[in-house]
Amino acid sequence: MDALNGDDLMNVKSKLSLSAAFCMGLTATTAAAECADPIKVGVLHSLSGTMAISETTLKDTMELLIAQQNEAGGLLGCEIEAVVVDPASDWPLFAEKARELLTVSEVDVIFGSWTSVSRKSALPVLEELNGLMFYPVQYEGEESSRNVFYTGAAPNQQAIPATDYFLEELGVEKFALLGTDYVYPRTTNNILESYLQENGIAAEDIFVNYTPFGHSDWSTIVADVVELGADGSQVGVISTINGDANIGFYKELAAAGISADDIPVVAFSVGEEELSGLDTSDLVGHLAAWNYFQSAESELNDNWVEAWKASMGEERVTNDPMEAHFIGFNMWVNAVTDAGTTDVDAVREAMYGQEFPNLTGGTAVMLPNHHLAKPVLIGEIQADGQFDIISQTTEVPGDAWTDFLPESAVLTSDWKDLGCGMYNTETETCVQLTSNY
Amino acid sequence: MKNTFIARNPSVLWFLAALGLFTALVTIASEATGAGLISTSFVKTLGKTLCLCLIAIAMDVVWGYCGILSLGHFAFFGIGGYSIGMWLMYARTEIIVTESLAGRTIPATPQEVSDAIGNQIFGVVGSSEFPLIWAFADSFWMQMAFVILIPGLLALVFGWLAFRSRVTGVYLSILTQAMTLALALYLFQNDSGLRGNNGLSGLQNLPGMDDVSQATVSLAFFLASAAALALGYLLFAWITDSKLGNIIQAIRDDEARVRFLGYHVESYKLFVFTITAIIAGIAGALYYPQAGIINPAEIAPIASIYLAVWVAIGGRGRLYGAVLGAAFVSLLSSWFTGGGAPNINLGFYTVQWVDWWLVLLGLSFVLVTLYAPKGIGGLFDKLVRKS
Amino acid sequence: MRRLFLSLAWLMAFATSAFAQDLQSILQTHAEEVAKPSRNSVGVVMDDLVASGLPQTTAFLEQWAERNIWQNDETGSFFIGIEDGDDLTLTDIDSGEETSVSADGYSQLRPNGGVRRVIGTALVQFQLSDPDPERRLSALESIGRRADASQLPLLIASLEGEDDAAIRARKEQLINFLTARFGENTDDRIAAINSLSKDTSVEARAVLNQILATEVKIADALPQDDNVADVINTLSDHTAYYAQLVDADLAPAMVSSGDVLAALEANVVEGRVGGIPLAQLNSEDARNAAYVELAAAGTVPPLVTADDVTATLDDFYFYSAYDEPDAAITDAARAALDSVETRVGWSQFLDLSLDGLSLASIYFLAAIGLAITFGQMGVINMAHGEFIMMGAYTGYVVQLFVPDYTISLLIALPLAFAVTFGAGVAMERLVIRHLYHRPLETLLATFGISIALQQIAKNIFGTQARPLTSPEWLSGALVISDVIQISYIRIAIFVLALIFLCVLLYILKRTRLGLEVRAVTQNPGMAASMGINPDRINMMTFGLGSGIAGVAGVSIGLYAQVTSEMGANYIVQSFMTVVVGGVGSVFGTLAGAGLIGFLQKGIEWLNPSNTLAAQTYMILFIILFIQFRPKGIVALKGRAAAD
Repeated sequence: MDALNGDDLMNVKSKLSLSAAFCMGLTATTAAAECADPIKVGVLHSLSGTMAISETTLKDTMELLIAQQNEAGGLLGCEIEAVVVDPASDWPLFAEKARELLTVSEVDVIFGSWTSVSRKSALPVLEELNGLMFYPVQYEGEESSRNVFYTGAAPNQQAIPATDYFLEELGVEKFALLGTDYVYPRTTNNILESYLQENGIAAEDIFVNYTPFGHSDWSTIVADVVELGADGSQVGVISTINGDANIGFYKELAAAGISADDIPVVAFSVGEEELSGLDTSDLVGHLAAWNYFQSAESELNDNWVEAWKASMGEERVTNDPMEAHFIGFNMWVNAVTDAGTTDVDAVREAMYGQEFPNLTGGTAVMLPNHHLAKPVLIGEIQADGQFDIISQTTEVPGDAWTDFLPESAVLTSDWKDLGCGMYNTETETCVQLTSNY
Repeated sequence: MKNTFIARNPSVLWFLAALGLFTALVTIASEATGAGLISTSFVKTLGKTLCLCLIAIAMDVVWGYCGILSLGHFAFFGIGGYSIGMWLMYARTEIIVTESLAGRTIPATPQEVSDAIGNQIFGVVGSSEFPLIWAFADSFWMQMAFVILIPGLLALVFGWLAFRSRVTGVYLSILTQAMTLALALYLFQNDSGLRGNNGLSGLQNLPGMDDVSQATVSLAFFLASAAALALGYLLFAWITDSKLGNIIQAIRDDEARVRFLGYHVESYKLFVFTITAIIAGIAGALYYPQAGIINPAEIAPIASIYLAVWVAIGGRGRLYGAVLGAAFVSLLSSWFTGGGAPNINLGFYTVQWVDWWLVLLGLSFVLVTLYAPKGIGGLFDKLVRKS
Repeated sequence: MRRLFLSLAWLMAFATSAFAQDLQSILQTHAEEVAKPSRNSVGVVMDDLVASGLPQTTAFLEQWAERNIWQNDETGSFFIGIEDGDDLTLTDIDSGEETSVSADGYSQLRPNGGVRRVIGTALVQFQLSDPDPERRLSALESIGRRADASQLPLLIASLEGEDDAAIRARKEQLINFLTARFGENTDDRIAAINSLSKDTSVEARAVLNQILATEVKIADALPQDDNVADVINTLSDHTAYYAQLVDADLAPAMVSSGDVLAALEANVVEGRVGGIPLAQLNSEDARNAAYVELAAAGTVPPLVTADDVTATLDDFYFYSAYDEPDAAITDAARAALDSVETRVGWSQFLDLSLDGLSLASIYFLAAIGLAITFGQMGVINMAHGEFIMMGAYTGYVVQLFVPDYTISLLIALPLAFAVTFGAGVAMERLVIRHLYHRPLETLLATFGISIALQQIAKNIFGTQARPLTSPEWLSGALVISDVIQISYIRIAIFVLALIFLCVLLYILKRTRLGLEVRAVTQNPGMAASMGINPDRINMMTFGLGSGIAGVAGVSIGLYAQVTSEMGANYIVQSFMTVVVGGVGSVFGTLAGAGLIGFLQKGIEWLNPSNTLAAQTYMILFIILFIQFRPKGIVALKGRAAAD
């Protein structure tokens, strides 16, 4: 694949600034190319129901990205058209809508899903109909489908580096793994438990708790966490608490007077968007690990934030899954350009090794296991609800199958050379070509 | 006997004829037969709608005829789905695992096979051991029996406890709601052994039938659902028409009086509660292989409330009313949320139906309850009687 | 010899020059560690800085921890910098000279939490006797977080000049802690340890636990010279303890089933392994038999059987030994800790009861409005949760306009009551009035209103959670000890629930309105004929119930999240509270909320790692409870109890 050159970068920048201008109301006409059918991009994000809170933003992101691309001349001489459907946070609907997008609307690619269960719902349909989906959210790994590109973080791109940070930089000796009771926290915590034990943390020094979605009564759990420090160890909290429940949790932490210096909390699901729901003055110093923060310092990011605010409003913030779509969409555009067609198999081949600049600096690379190599950032919460980036690694290649669970340590994924997403390196056989949903 | 039954209930014939015609039309127009006028995804939607109609008539019998406003029948629907889903997942995974282990020089032990299946199914939730409830998952017939047995037994025990204590009216509604909430919360836990929030997925891929296209599979399920609905309709029409049906309706109208007449009210209620639960279980077992995934959110109390609303909108106390209500509201709902309805531009504000559909739906409940207590079926009756 | 002398001289010269260096040049020798500090690498810098004895070190360290040190990207020199828009006010770390430059070309140093703690520890010796009490406190805080033996003499020395009573007390406490751990004299240590036997604070227990830190050791006979804490029974977990023996090279490794398989696969001869045909190797026993054959032939290491494991384990003693060699001290610490643990147990019970009380008051507040509409009027209001939500959003909107949190709260509470009172009255007039004889259908109609309201809220306020911030005086917690504490918001909610309980009881029992409400509840027809207007009474009752929901919304929003779905989270709980308590009675609701709140906390305590399970079991309990007391805890008697 051709490496990223200056022209590409210029192209991106001009697209961003152009659309910013466009969004600010300056008229700009699109050079609509002669094209029989527009290229269709399916957007499969919930616009209603419980997940609308997170996913609507991604729909807006996709619409902005598509507008920008059309602004820059479309793709293969064609206009790109967004086909937006609403799976309404209803998991079976993701399968139904995915089928509709692929067979009725005949889209060339789908950008969508947030929760793991919604992805697992759409997976069989994508594999059956040979569709292509970009999944933008950090997830628990243990999956590599031929038909999905995972642009969010795998556990080794978020959870493991953050835990390393706790172990090495903060010297945490006892861990509280708090999570919402669903598959991402469960699997992540399983991986972390096994990782921590490998790093010499005894099993009894790891406290695990699961709470329901939207949990609001945190006083007992916070008291349990404080109690962990009774043997004089440094306690740290690794939080996979999802969505709204974080608000009650942080409020209770603040009320109990626990500062980040006493018991640091690192969260994997708290970003700029979540913090806009609460007063952050008491949370200053607590941490979050992502591949992107709005506060990242790069020209590309400045342009992106500006374009986003221009089109959505000054008070709106950007976050990590948006960057994942940003990279995913641009990589797809480049792959289609390279392949000269939107045919799924051709684009898939062209995707491997595709490079695109991260908004945080550096370059993301698409690996043959359908995951990205991205840097891992750790940020401290600031009083204004933004993050102060205090640690940034070099690009970490995403690992579909974690090395820290015995069953999956022997598995690897390589769609380019091995042509298999679940390859057993011990027996040197492909376990299966479809995914286990 | 049959003649008189049909003669007393001309609507049954009409309904079966209409259903038959509808089924035939869909079959001809489907992709499986080559016409391709109706997409596979829409055949699936229609098939699912038929299953919803089936549980709606069960709801109509228990509420419209017997006066028990159960807000928990979706729990039985879900149990049916989970029972069949367990077999579907197990059998599908077993094939994959056997294939991948077949290439080894040393044959696999039964333990290894079972571990590998467990790892594939439960790897998602970070576990690999089979919980006890999966003991019979390898047997199609056992799981099929569970589709009927578990909802039936649960309804029997729950109903016996509740009716014995003379819990009635609103209290019973809340109690059934608590039951479905408890079940949903239980299933949400990863420790429940049914993959927690993820639920069971990939159910549309029937084990050993990889070569059969989804167009055919979905048509087969559509036909099966239509047959189940027809049979269920006949069964309930027969029950409500019989003497038993009269007693049931009498219980609805005045429970105390029926008791004083010497009938053992509790047994009748228990019978209705249990039989409708079983039908709900069967409807669920047909629904989820078409939906492709079942998870605890399906069982949340709100689903059962929606069920009651369908029946109310369709018209209680008439079976075709329940069918109309369920089909009408669920199809309309997917039309509106699917972006089918055009947005209305008011100049200063654009009404996007994705945002406003629920408001419209909610207000229409209010209007129907206030001004059309007999629902669509009631309007229908008026038309028929006038002509 | 000459060379040695020369190099020595050179070293000497270097050392003196290093000593004479200014801060900047010390920093430059460690530029990498200073610019990108890490907890483990920054120690060298600290040692050099402290050793230099330069007076400006303290200021530098303080500014560094505060993230006010900037580095010039080109020259690499470090400055104290204060950001002012795009500009930077730089202060030279040695000369104190101030310049103002553009922030471009300078990068801020961001020591992370771990490094800041190291800095804090290094600063202790400079700050302990600092005239500024803030600094002394921060030094004490550092000691509290990371105590080491060297701080004990510093603390004792600093005690003399201490005039601030609070700081003095804290210093004495820390000296006590440090003496217990690091004191030189056994008697002093035991005295210090004994003084901790009533202290339930996390710090004191940490001290005791650290004295009692143990290490597991393996020996073939129990040693006499070690301070043995406990001899471990290895029968409890064979494999784990055997694995420890293997790790210590005291026993041969176990052969896992995977190893067996691999060994078999590697030794297939003409379709057989160890003489057994491949097809027969489909059971664990057959595989082991084949492996034993291979082992007998010497191709693979022998199999370790379960008997071997027990036999080997029998030969060894596993015991835990205290790090502290003096048994007298560990005995004293153990006794002190035991006595503390009992106290902690009681405190935790108390804390849990407080949590239960708080949860009960939240449930009570959420349910009491429902108890009125459902209990007094028999109307099932599924939109009750949405009234709670409306109240919370009212609070949010008020905060948008009134930035002072105290005043906005004072406005929000009555306003939320008014808004939801109005909404309730409107709903009663427009919908519910028509459905009094069809109670089950009010359920459907109000459910319709509920989903419509929820969606409207979503359309107006968006799907993001909205902040509802409590005033300053409600933040923080009432701390009785480290174990027993409760946040002020929860106390406020408790007080609010109490107020509503009293007000409601007063209205229902002591006012004309209450009399009329009760009359209409018991017999509407009779009440009407006595000149009461049931329409008006129903309207007022419904409004009252809804209004309370609004107030509940504000208080729930203060401690949890404000979203369009917050009401839905409370509706089922509220119904159950009312039903369990007994319909139609305020005390019933109180009892119901109390039962559910305490029960939930109790179950959570039994199973702390899974809150969801606690909720499941609680609902199951409620279902069973209703079977046996269908009318709830406080059941109305007589005619009023009829449906």
